[in-house]
Amino acid sequence: MTMPTNAPMDAEACTFTDFSEGDPSSEYPKTGAEADGIEAEVWKALYEVEDPEMPVSIVDLGLIYDVDVADGRCDVEMTLTYTGCPAREMLLNDVKCAAETVPAVDEATVELRYTPEWNVNMVTEEGKDSLRDFGLSV
Amino acid sequence: MSETPRSDAIDRRELSAEQQAAVEELLFRLADDEFVHAERLTEWQIYAPTLESDLAIANIAQDEFGHARLWYDLLKQLGYTEPECLWERDPTEWTHSLLVERPFDAGDWGDAVLRGYLYDAAERIRLEAVADTSYAPLADRVGKALEEEAYHREHATNWLERLTADDDGRARMQDALDELFPAALSLFDPGPREDDIVAFGFRTESLAAMRTEWLETIGPALEALGLDVPDPDQVARPNGRGRYGTHTDAWHDLYDEFTATYREVDFETPAQLRATEE
Repeated sequence: MTMPTNAPMDAEACTFTDFSEGDPSSEYPKTGAEADGIEAEVWKALYEVEDPEMPVSIVDLGLIYDVDVADGRCDVEMTLTYTGCPAREMLLNDVKCAAETVPAVDEATVELRYTPEWNVNMVTEEGKDSLRDFGLSV
Repeated sequence: MSETPRSDAIDRRELSAEQQAAVEELLFRLADDEFVHAERLTEWQIYAPTLESDLAIANIAQDEFGHARLWYDLLKQLGYTEPECLWERDPTEWTHSLLVERPFDAGDWGDAVLRGYLYDAAERIRLEAVADTSYAPLADRVGKALEEEAYHREHATNWLERLTADDDGRARMQDALDELFPAALSLFDPGPREDDIVAFGFRTESLAAMRTEWLETIGPALEALGLDVPDPDQVARPNGRGRYGTHTDAWHDLYDEFTATYREVDFETPAQLRATEE
């Protein structure tokens, strides 16, 4: 799970990190529920990509911000839970490869976006269940 | 941050040559400071005074590397490669401030804490000064970095309070402040394209205004802890100007160190399991 862990653990004022802040725009998380055709197939493929540290789909984590397909070219916009995420290159490549498993997609590009800022409220209910099964309290 | 870009927002394909030069200077200043600050912080790994503080400072360094990547990525979108930004860039062309390149004296945790405090206070101000930037690709990234910075200031403030809690600790922090303060002032030294950076709206505050805000932030806070903040107009500034691309000797040593692996790895020759027999 690529969550921020930069809370000063030895500081009295901050014995835990509160991730509950944040009021994501109502259009997030995006899960592709309303997509159809090739874009729906891409969303389905992206569901198969998991966070490198936890058994949860990156779509359920709320990391995918947009999927757009035109003329065999697929543009994915996504975010990361925090900017220092060491799995960045791996995730970008996993997403690109997943999108390119869709037969009608010839080439996929993945671009990072940081607005809106991801927070734990952008995890879907299914994603929260996966995280709870894994032992996290969300 | 606002999700609505400014109505006069400029995308990267619309930049004039002058605008591009100005935005590059702004981005290199941001990125270089973050990268070099993080590089120095990593020296504390396994040496910080407690396990928790070791983890905390390693995490802060990781965040700052993450922020450096945010800004270097924007430079890559403008045509730079990673080696051009980092590994093969002439050390005299780096534009970070003198504060972040300073070496730590062995075991001087007070330096690490105070340096983090002075830097993070400045970082908040400089990020807020680009939150409403006219450069659209930058606007997208500022909110995320600002959000992550709050932890850093909380960490620094907590430690500052602890380290100034008795006379001995306070005297050591005063020494650290006297050493670091002149170098920290270089955070606000202008580069050659400063006027353009503001005129094009890439940053919405002048460096002079940001410096004033920084002094008004750190001054009362440090004085409340019993420290004397030097008069910024009276202190002797260190040799080297940082922002102008001149640096102290310590920077050149650090640069040689973090580029050593890059220089030693022969990328042109594929790695082999066995050495070639003679």
